[in-house]
Amino acid sequence: MAAPDRDETLRAALVRGLSRRRTGLGVTAGPGAIWIVLLLIAPLAFMTAVSFASIDSVTFDIVWEPTVNNYRDLVVGGTSEYSLGPLVYKATAFEKAVLLSYAIATVATVLCLVFAFPLAYVMARLDDRAFKIVIYLVLLPFFTMYLVRAYSWRLMFGQSGVLNQVLGAVGIGPVAAFEFGVPAVIVGLTHAYFPYMLITLYASLDGLDFSLIEAARDLGASRVDVIRDHIIPLTLPGIVGGSLFVFVPSVGAFITPQILGQGKVQMIGILIEQRAIGEATNAATASAASMAVVFSIVVAMFLVFRYVDLDELGGV
Amino acid sequence: MATETGEPAEQTSQEYAGRFRNHQRIERLLGKGLYAFAALMLVFLWLPLLIIIFLSFAQSPNLLPFDGLTLSNYQGIAGEPGLRSSVVASFSIATLSAIVATTLGVLASFALTRYRFPLREVYRTFGIIPMVVPGVILGVGLRFYFLTVGLNPSFLATVLTHSLYGLPFVLLIVSARLYTFDESLEEAARDLGADPLTTFRDITFPVIAPAVGAGFLFAWVRSFEDYIRALFVSGINTDPLTQWMFGKITKASAENLNVLNAVSTLVVLAIAVGLAIAMNYGNVTGYVAGTNADDDE
Repeated sequence: MAAPDRDETLRAALVRGLSRRRTGLGVTAGPGAIWIVLLLIAPLAFMTAVSFASIDSVTFDIVWEPTVNNYRDLVVGGTSEYSLGPLVYKATAFEKAVLLSYAIATVATVLCLVFAFPLAYVMARLDDRAFKIVIYLVLLPFFTMYLVRAYSWRLMFGQSGVLNQVLGAVGIGPVAAFEFGVPAVIVGLTHAYFPYMLITLYASLDGLDFSLIEAARDLGASRVDVIRDHIIPLTLPGIVGGSLFVFVPSVGAFITPQILGQGKVQMIGILIEQRAIGEATNAATASAASMAVVFSIVVAMFLVFRYVDLDELGGV
Repeated sequence: MATETGEPAEQTSQEYAGRFRNHQRIERLLGKGLYAFAALMLVFLWLPLLIIIFLSFAQSPNLLPFDGLTLSNYQGIAGEPGLRSSVVASFSIATLSAIVATTLGVLASFALTRYRFPLREVYRTFGIIPMVVPGVILGVGLRFYFLTVGLNPSFLATVLTHSLYGLPFVLLIVSARLYTFDESLEEAARDLGADPLTTFRDITFPVIAPAVGAGFLFAWVRSFEDYIRALFVSGINTDPLTQWMFGKITKASAENLNVLNAVSTLVVLAIAVGLAIAMNYGNVTGYVAGTNADDDE
């Protein structure tokens, strides 16, 4: 009879504890806080510290002497020449990778927005049965492994990829744009993050009162007027949120440029991987490059969140 | 307005009727164009997947020249070295990390919705950040950190990494559910003499259970499909399915592609079945899009 007694006292103690506000807060917030401090804040802080240290070239140990050399090396001493009229700028591998990543991510984001908006609009106006079918067709790729989807484009592109084979068969011949490279990476990223954009846009269009739009049209507003004055302002949180969900992961993409770039597309994710475990291992450089990217993303998000609240971004 | 110009009223109304018909035609064309574009986007989403599925039944991984259909690619899966163990590794990592993420995420959601405390906003923001940080950077940061505190890349390191990565998905879904939860139900239960544990078991949990399940599934899927974080923290002895697939993709011989096509098709099939069941059972769209979180269909 001892065991049930102990259970009873334990339970009573638990109940008493949980009824107290401070214990309740500690039990609910505590475990998550420990996880966040130990597995998120500490590693990022450590990485920041390493980015200001240097690596012994013989023993690969971290030498804890504060230096900004790692950051300086990211932007100084470039060899690739870019000329803008009389101005000649020598870019480093890091600068090239950052520029390329931002450019590719921007194009992918714009493509996602342009491609997804009409479909999201149609989805918001479908009847229940048709909607169920379409949302199934959208969610299935959304939940399909990212790697499988990147691989699917690996089959489409390339010298002997499906696209060039089909074009060759009808006599148009292999097209250079369908070989591995920047266009393939852009298509791969657009395809990978298209569902995120679509679902975020749909969430904001779903709450839209379409009678407003009909009223505006009845009162003589043109189609362009309605889109500019009603649809875009009312769905702005969805547009900004969806763009963020495409842009941020696209900047840091690794799998897509690795598989669809075939060594020709050196995005920032690939550069950091090479410095971290790849051919040019240097923990300090990798940390500095990572922190620079994190900083640029934080600045971008700060600018965005002046306009949109995090709460409005929807579930996922 | 038109009558002021002195034109016969009949002519004006005919003109209007004509313009109205024209207007209707344009309207219909634009409507059809919109639907056609939307359909085209579904094709864009599906075309590469359909090609994989088709090629998984083809003799050669090249579409042209087409060599005929076969099931041998699927027979080849059985004898594939390392595939079975990598599937087991991925399942174990995903399940363990999703359990941890769900436990922490549900508790944290209660803290965020039931208590006011200093740094609450900071807590919430940091709870969402693991989902936003690029995978390469989270992976590299945790790798350096784990190595320094003496935890070598391993199964445990991967589970820890993925439990952090899954936390935001649970947090967002469950806290959204708790925000819309009618707290007076809990108060009523407590007024009637139920202690906090009983209240949770009989009142709160049944209401948030679908959200907890959805959060668990999201965390599970995210862990299962992750390649880049595991790349840095899994080490050589742990080989999740994504690592196995990536190895095959980079060494793209005809046999490798054949096996990959078959495995990919099975992945798509498994997700198709799982999603159909989930959509019949609960409001998947609501959880994904964050819409109508207040009703369970």
